[in-house]
Amino acid sequence: MDRITSRAGRRFVHFVLLSFTVYSLVPFIWTGMQSFKTVKDAFSRTPLLLFEPTLQNYQDVWIRRVPENAEAIGLGILLAVMVLVGLLLTARSLPINDRLVYGFCLAGFGLLLWAIPQLIYMQKFYDYFINTLIVTAFTITISISIGCLAGYSLARYAGLAAVVILIAALAFRALPRLAFVLPYYWIGSLLNLLDTGLLVVVSLVAVNQPFTIWMLRSFFMEVPKDLEESAMVDGANRLQSFLRVIVPVAWPGIISTALFTLLLAYNEFLLVRVLTQSNWTLPVAISRYTGNESADEITLAAAASVSATLPIIVVILYFQKHLVKGLSAGAVKG
Amino acid sequence: MKRDTFFAFASPSVAIMLLLMVVPLAIAIWLGFHYMTFRNIAAPEFVGLRNYSDVLSDPRFWRSFNFTALYTAIVVPSWVVIGFIIALFLDQVSGFVRGVYMSIFLLPFITVPIIATIMFKQLWEPSGLLTWLYQQLTSTRFRMNETSVKTLIVFFGIWYVTPFTIVVYFAGLQTLPQEMIEAASIDGAGRLQKIRHIVIPYVSSLTVFILLFSIMDSYRVFDSVYVLSGLNPQFKADTVMTYTFATAVQVQRLGKANAMAILTVIGIMLVLIPFLRLMYKEQIAER
Repeated sequence: MDRITSRAGRRFVHFVLLSFTVYSLVPFIWTGMQSFKTVKDAFSRTPLLLFEPTLQNYQDVWIRRVPENAEAIGLGILLAVMVLVGLLLTARSLPINDRLVYGFCLAGFGLLLWAIPQLIYMQKFYDYFINTLIVTAFTITISISIGCLAGYSLARYAGLAAVVILIAALAFRALPRLAFVLPYYWIGSLLNLLDTGLLVVVSLVAVNQPFTIWMLRSFFMEVPKDLEESAMVDGANRLQSFLRVIVPVAWPGIISTALFTLLLAYNEFLLVRVLTQSNWTLPVAISRYTGNESADEITLAAAASVSATLPIIVVILYFQKHLVKGLSAGAVKG
Repeated sequence: MKRDTFFAFASPSVAIMLLLMVVPLAIAIWLGFHYMTFRNIAAPEFVGLRNYSDVLSDPRFWRSFNFTALYTAIVVPSWVVIGFIIALFLDQVSGFVRGVYMSIFLLPFITVPIIATIMFKQLWEPSGLLTWLYQQLTSTRFRMNETSVKTLIVFFGIWYVTPFTIVVYFAGLQTLPQEMIEAASIDGAGRLQKIRHIVIPYVSSLTVFILLFSIMDSYRVFDSVYVLSGLNPQFKADTVMTYTFATAVQVQRLGKANAMAILTVIGIMLVLIPFLRLMYKEQIAER
């Protein structure tokens, strides 16, 4: 559309956009404030916009007992995180191979996450956090690997079978989760797999597979066919040409899809709620804080919510272009 | 690509979908004919169609069906209208400012639904910001009852999913050919006329896409209802999904819950079949 140029018009545009910003942000700002309040302040009859902030809620959510040399440990962890993040951000410009740096950072974060509960007596919330990371990581890896193979073949094969699979997948995408989750519960209890990460990961991969293959297929369709044909003339077989030529070209699209898989796995509530009793992921763990309205639960729920949301926001802001691309790719092509 | 290669590449994914979607659906149909609680999971008792007659004569089921329909009827048009309007406004700014607005508008959508609902609910706790504001403006006490819980569920639904429609419409607006707009300007068309006669028809395929996915997602609403109503029957705010869940987990009538899920599957397929046929023809023509 052409631009509004009049001064009053421009003001109106910004007024609308700013109002919508406030509308989008109010729950986040309020919850953020509540999470830094003492129980007494959080329950004040008139909402307090100015108050003395406290980190007590965050401590109560994460840490069971504060160790004696808390400052030293905290400083050490902070330093390690800063070094790793610094490495991640500068990986491209370092004179070492990128992949080596990324691998080192991954190992470093893993080691750190393992070391924290050895040094500090953490709450169960930390276990749920780790559970969530593990479930999400496995779901993304499996889902994207098999999804890429299927998505690519669906983009290239012209037979009737491909169309049937695509349409069936679309139908499955529309069906209610519970139609699958209740049978999973039944199978899980017969096979003694309830409350295991395995059942959760496999179920998550399955219920998200229709969405994944549709999205990946749309990205593989964009890759010109001559590319793998020329690779195959050079003597590579299908799989080799796929892995060496197609995947690198389609990589941005694969990242977009992985990002959506990340959100789907990290967000999943119903499936985890039905299939686990104690081996929860964060959404189920946090829903426990809202059960009854005892005094300190509001501030704890606020602190837990902020804790679980921040990592996702950081990841998404870093990859925002891919997210928007993914959302619009599905849309523009139908 | 050869047939054999296709099946080799697609088989892991197809196997998972067969094993974990087709087979479970068959199991759900089978379980729907059985009486089963958590106690006789290994040996369900066959009861024929009794679960189905139980569901269809259950007033709570029909109440949850009605609320789901009401929810869909309010929320889906709101997503389309608000999303389109905000996308038009977002199209008026550019560069860094646009990026910042986009990041902020996306925020609800990328937050875990359960957590977003908890955050939204914090505003309406007895000591919440909007509770206070509501009481100042109306000088009546805000309390959780049937009307307020249902209203909050609908409001949350609108708040949470609008970012999706904003992004989709916004992406569509970026591909709008400038010549069409310029030609209309030369003919002396006003802004609203241009929107009505050029932009809305241009994005109509997107609107169909959004409507399809919105309806698919809104009838499945679960997480926000779970948090806002706490599955408390006194609020009468069950949706079909939460009532199915409650039947399985709280009342422990797993057979009846499966029957309910199968009825939902049949209902959604009836709605979906014309669209699936359309997609099928489109894909056949495309290859």
